[in-house]
Amino acid sequence: MKIESNKKVEEILSSLDGCQRVSAPDFYYTRLRARMEGRSGKSYNWILRPIYVVAALLLLLTVNTIVLLKGQNETSTTASDNLEVIQQSIAAEYSLNDNNSMYDLNQEK
Amino acid sequence: MNEQDLIQGLRNGDELAFKYLVLTYQDRVYNTAISIVQNVGDAEDVSQEVFIQVYRSIHHFKGESKLSTWLYRIATTRSLDLLRSRKSKKRFGFIQRLFGDGNEPLFELPDFNHPGILLEKKENAARLFRAIAQLPENQKIAFTLHKLENLSYQEISQVMGTSVPAVESLMHRAKQNLRKILEKEAK
Repeated sequence: MKIESNKKVEEILSSLDGCQRVSAPDFYYTRLRARMEGRSGKSYNWILRPIYVVAALLLLLTVNTIVLLKGQNETSTTASDNLEVIQQSIAAEYSLNDNNSMYDLNQEK
Repeated sequence: MNEQDLIQGLRNGDELAFKYLVLTYQDRVYNTAISIVQNVGDAEDVSQEVFIQVYRSIHHFKGESKLSTWLYRIATTRSLDLLRSRKSKKRFGFIQRLFGDGNEPLFELPDFNHPGILLEKKENAARLFRAIAQLPENQKIAFTLHKLENLSYQEISQVMGTSVPAVESLMHRAKQNLRKILEKEAK
């Protein structure tokens, strides 16, 4: 049994003896030239691969989110600033800020 | 055209020199690639990449070895690169199918039938090729170049950038490993 198995293994190992070299397919050179010429035009194709498209979209989304969040903060700060300005202008209009107006309570009219 | 003229022609971007190079070496490069990658379509891709690389990097060729040795070296390196990428695609197949270009095969490659093998030996050769695919890279290259390209140990040592005794050792270990794999399969 062991001898038979060894014989089979040796037979398999020698199966490449007398093997002939395979010839390249027909019109090999023509196809090679076509590939070389076509390659320069195809160089942009990698950018359209889904992984790059998804990465670009994610990047765009992240940048948008950051800009939006930042914008929101600035808007709230500006709103509070505006409110202060309005308050000050009303105060000025009604002379509410005038701390110099002293009322002499003892003075008779 | 002798080798020096050919190299000079390639360096000058001579179209005829490149055509001569391809026509002279296409069978050797293609046979090496098909024996390692064990797939007809991939072998054509790999062998074409070899010639494209030669065309582009001929200026880096120092002429310390023969042109054929350099071509064999590029062919084996490119073939191993393809095997590695095939393995990693298999490992991360799901993720790559999501993000890749969708051309990756979803199935295991079938048993390889080398076109140069005699008909009566095809079945045994297919089993041997399956076993060769499981060998470590260095052993695979040494065994393939010797058995399928009929290169001498001296030539293989130049292609692999190693010594003749190292190639002898690689061949010895390759045969031992193949025996082990085949015996295990027979059980």
